[in-house]
Amino acid sequence: MYADTQLLKKAVIAATVAAACGLTPGTVIAEGPGFAFGNSAAQNAACLKCHADLQKVGDGHQINGADYQHTTHAQFGCRTCHDNVPDSHPDGKNIARTTACVECHTDVAEQYTVSKHSLEAPDCGSCHNPHTAQKSGQVSALEMNAICTNCHNQIKIASTHAQWLPQTDLHLGAITCVTCHTKTEGFVLSIYIARKDIKGSASRPVIADYNYLSEKAAGKEIQELVDTNHDTYISLEELRRFSSNASNKDLYLKAILTPATTSHAFQTSDKSYNCTFCHASGPNATQISKLVLPEKNGSYRHVAIEGGGTLGSLNAIPDFYMMGSTRNTLLNKLGALILAGGLVMPAGHGFMRFLTRKNRKKE
Amino acid sequence: MKTKLIYLQPTPVRIWHWLNALGIVTLCISGAQIRFPEFISICGNYRSAILLHNTAGIVVALSFSFWFFYYKLVSGNLVDIYVPKVQELSNGLMKQIFFYFYAYFKGAASPFHATPENKFNPMQKSAYLAVMFVIVPLVSLTGIMLLNIGPLRQMLLVIGGLGVVATLHFLLACVLGAFLVTHVYLATLGSTPLAYFKPMWTGWEKVEHHHEHEPPHGAATDNVH
Repeated sequence: MYADTQLLKKAVIAATVAAACGLTPGTVIAEGPGFAFGNSAAQNAACLKCHADLQKVGDGHQINGADYQHTTHAQFGCRTCHDNVPDSHPDGKNIARTTACVECHTDVAEQYTVSKHSLEAPDCGSCHNPHTAQKSGQVSALEMNAICTNCHNQIKIASTHAQWLPQTDLHLGAITCVTCHTKTEGFVLSIYIARKDIKGSASRPVIADYNYLSEKAAGKEIQELVDTNHDTYISLEELRRFSSNASNKDLYLKAILTPATTSHAFQTSDKSYNCTFCHASGPNATQISKLVLPEKNGSYRHVAIEGGGTLGSLNAIPDFYMMGSTRNTLLNKLGALILAGGLVMPAGHGFMRFLTRKNRKKE
Repeated sequence: MKTKLIYLQPTPVRIWHWLNALGIVTLCISGAQIRFPEFISICGNYRSAILLHNTAGIVVALSFSFWFFYYKLVSGNLVDIYVPKVQELSNGLMKQIFFYFYAYFKGAASPFHATPENKFNPMQKSAYLAVMFVIVPLVSLTGIMLLNIGPLRQMLLVIGGLGVVATLHFLLACVLGAFLVTHVYLATLGSTPLAYFKPMWTGWEKVEHHHEHEPPHGAATDNVH
């Protein structure tokens, strides 16, 4: 993901900055390769002393410290990207960012620049705020979609898809935009704990947040709401138990089809219009499921779910059903048996009828 | 031996029957494609199969509602025609089963004679009772649920979830499919293989009668001498 760049940075607090930040002039707050996480926390704290305060820095320069400190960028430190803070800072002048996103995210840039999307939104900042951006695995599917809907009108999205996509609302609620609109290969069924008690819609379910689930867990880890045997692995039985547990009646498991790995190669491939890509190949293509749980810091983490079972099981995820893919072999055999039963009588009777046809000749 | 024509199936009944037949066959085929798209592509692409299935499902559900309200509220003879009486179950049912599975092969006549007021033999009544009052309503209801997952989400979760409803829909559809095969076969057991199909198309059935007067329950329809 990141280029192998050894950015040597040394940040020495200048007198004016030190005064503004309440530090001793000459204090070395970040030294060594930019990717060494050494003093980034102290460095960030110094910057955030002003930049977390809207009144001090104004709109456009304010950083939400709580959001920022959980990003990977925060581990690198503010000065990894902003390394030319002059002695005169803060003097009311804007400071150009000296490290472009592409310097680290080279592969992303390569994917993105060849897509049509880059013509409309050439800057990474058009979609991502580097001070809040987290890894794809740390954001929820709904947050992924929210990036898209910042520009793409949701009503227009729904009406455009409704021109060809049956059950549009259901699809839009069960698939992230990038699942179909980027060049992704593998897919994962991400299972979220959603709330029944807050009315959402098929396309906009309400995912339970950390605080709510934490209260439900009553002092335990929220993972234990599902992972009852604490083995950091979710069996189908545990999913069933969660769904049938009366104390979870305000919750339900919401499955959303997400890409196994995110890509910035935005495109709508033919497979997106081919329903059977998911609805037929599902049993083979979508064997991986994971439970996605909110963290205290607002990010998400994953817990593995028993392989293949989410699609094959009858009621592991009561809210999820993918036609053509969610089919149970045992039920198929039972259905075939019922149909065969319907054929037995005509076949047997027809055979006897043929043998005894002379008895029914008209007199 | 004289024959005469009786008007057994009025036009609305025939329209209803063939609309249902077309709808149910369409549902079976498109439903099979929806469940097994790797193997079946009769209805074109997957989207076409779904749209066809949804449309046919709505038509059959409306047709069923029409049938129910017509017989119950307009005609008022729903129970007389479709619900077997105790005597029919205790006596007539066994007679009819005996006829189909033994006497028929010996060349005997059917013990039942259809009339416009009493169209179905006890075996038919029992089968139609199960099909029209249990299977079709349930398969329609589960289909309507699956067609409206968004608005009915809470209710679906209460009754066990989408998988349970979809499974019920699938198994009931298989039962209906099995019935359909038997139904079509039994319809060929008239005096000629098409004898029972014709009245459902033209409304008129040719019956043989042996007496000057009408038999108490109308003319025989399925004598095969």
